[in-house]
Amino acid sequence: MSANPDISAGAIADAVRSGRGSARDAVRASLDRIAATEPRINAFTEVLAERALRRADLVDAHPRRARMKLAGVPFAVKNLFDVAGLTTLAGSRIERSRPPAARDAALIRRLEAEGAVLVGALNMDEYAYGFTTENTHYGPTRNPHDLARVSGGSSGGSAAAVAAGQVPLTLGSDTNGSIRVPASLCGTFGLKPTFGRLPRTGSYPFVATLDHLGPFARCVADLALAYDAMQGADRDDPACAQRAVEAVSAQLDHGTAGLRVGVLGGWFRGMALTDATAAVDAVAQALGTTRLVEWPEVERARAAAFIVTCGEGAALHLDDLRQRAADFDPMTRDRFLANALIPAAWLVQAQRVRHWFARRVARVFETVDVLVAPATPCVAPPIGTEWLDVGGQRLPARASMGLLTQPVSCIGLPVVTVPLWGLSASAPHMPIGVQLIAAPWREDLCLRVAARLEAQGICSAPVARGL
Amino acid sequence: MADHSAYIDAAAATLGLKLTAEQRKGVTTYFALAAAMAEKVQGLPLSTADESGNVFVPVAPGSDR
Repeated sequence: MSANPDISAGAIADAVRSGRGSARDAVRASLDRIAATEPRINAFTEVLAERALRRADLVDAHPRRARMKLAGVPFAVKNLFDVAGLTTLAGSRIERSRPPAARDAALIRRLEAEGAVLVGALNMDEYAYGFTTENTHYGPTRNPHDLARVSGGSSGGSAAAVAAGQVPLTLGSDTNGSIRVPASLCGTFGLKPTFGRLPRTGSYPFVATLDHLGPFARCVADLALAYDAMQGADRDDPACAQRAVEAVSAQLDHGTAGLRVGVLGGWFRGMALTDATAAVDAVAQALGTTRLVEWPEVERARAAAFIVTCGEGAALHLDDLRQRAADFDPMTRDRFLANALIPAAWLVQAQRVRHWFARRVARVFETVDVLVAPATPCVAPPIGTEWLDVGGQRLPARASMGLLTQPVSCIGLPVVTVPLWGLSASAPHMPIGVQLIAAPWREDLCLRVAARLEAQGICSAPVARGL
Repeated sequence: MADHSAYIDAAAATLGLKLTAEQRKGVTTYFALAAAMAEKVQGLPLSTADESGNVFVPVAPGSDR
């Protein structure tokens, strides 16, 4: 199998299915790339070489090998996914003392059932509470396109591993933007499906009523391939919808003719720097749309997501906050402590605002199919950046990375993030992502538009050079 | 800006959270941020018909292993 780090998941699977390559060689190439680049990136918290090679041999010898959609594809997961035999860290020191997981998370099992091979667990912000993966316990995950810059978060390891060519496919979670932000900052494709589409069984929660799981990849076809393999109901996750699989891979080349595409204005332009608005304008031009669409009360919706995160996120950790607050990452500790104190009335009102907003946005989607918005206000800032000037305000930089993603995940809409390049005057080597947003359960539309933009050469996710 | 000191002390004590001086400084900052967000959330006029999006789903016998 090729040691080319640019190789897609689809190309690996084709080769392994046909017998032109082996799962063992694909996994070996991935492990070698990880070993060569990891000292500079710090995407992984655990590399599972022995498990992966054993699993690869099983795939190579499997009677269904020729039909496995992800045959021999190496992948890795954010370390909040349960991996049998490993303690699920969720980016924390506290969880290290818990027993190892007895079973793989549901999505790992589904990918491996199609022949994919898990090669490791990935770095993240502690308990998924952050947008930069500047994790104090495990070190920062560095942006493969500029090692002095953040990878984004909280699924920073998931985006960086794909951007560095360590694996072609990873999984992350997105509560307020934690797939879309690192995908934007590391220049990868990312899919945050509709809330309830993919089961979260066997993953460490952050905010149960907002948590989504989804894939990162370097091309749209790989996103769709993984997404199709992971769909399906699971009653062990009470939020997972009882929906049949709605496979999208065969629809990617259907194009965008007849689709009504608009650009989100208001908050989504006001809270973005020119790096980000230029990316949106490039996408709008490529899709031939000048239609500007506004959602009502976006700032309040973002505030609702913020408050729900405070209330639910802190309640989950109350015992540890009482007994061992000093063991939390200083990047999260005081926020969790403050959040534990918020009155119930704020949380209840935030959930009501969230539903109010979802109903208003649903009306907007009666006249439009896909909406375009920036994923982050700017390209990846340098590690350690404290402040960001945006929208006429000086705001905390880390929290501000989610300004444009929070209002969307707040109401569970499906989003594909696509990476564009060369649009930042101050950092022309850095990517920035654009969100393609559809109505609930219409991941197919987001992916079709993404595939169209990719085919036009508007967006791409090359492996970082010089690592 | 509102002074939340008394509330923070009372709520922390009620929940059994012992805040160090260093933590209390951060907690004050982040609680004020949450309060500012709550103000935006509270500022949207809603009717009694505007219910939470969280809907409880009853569990039928045999559907929960």
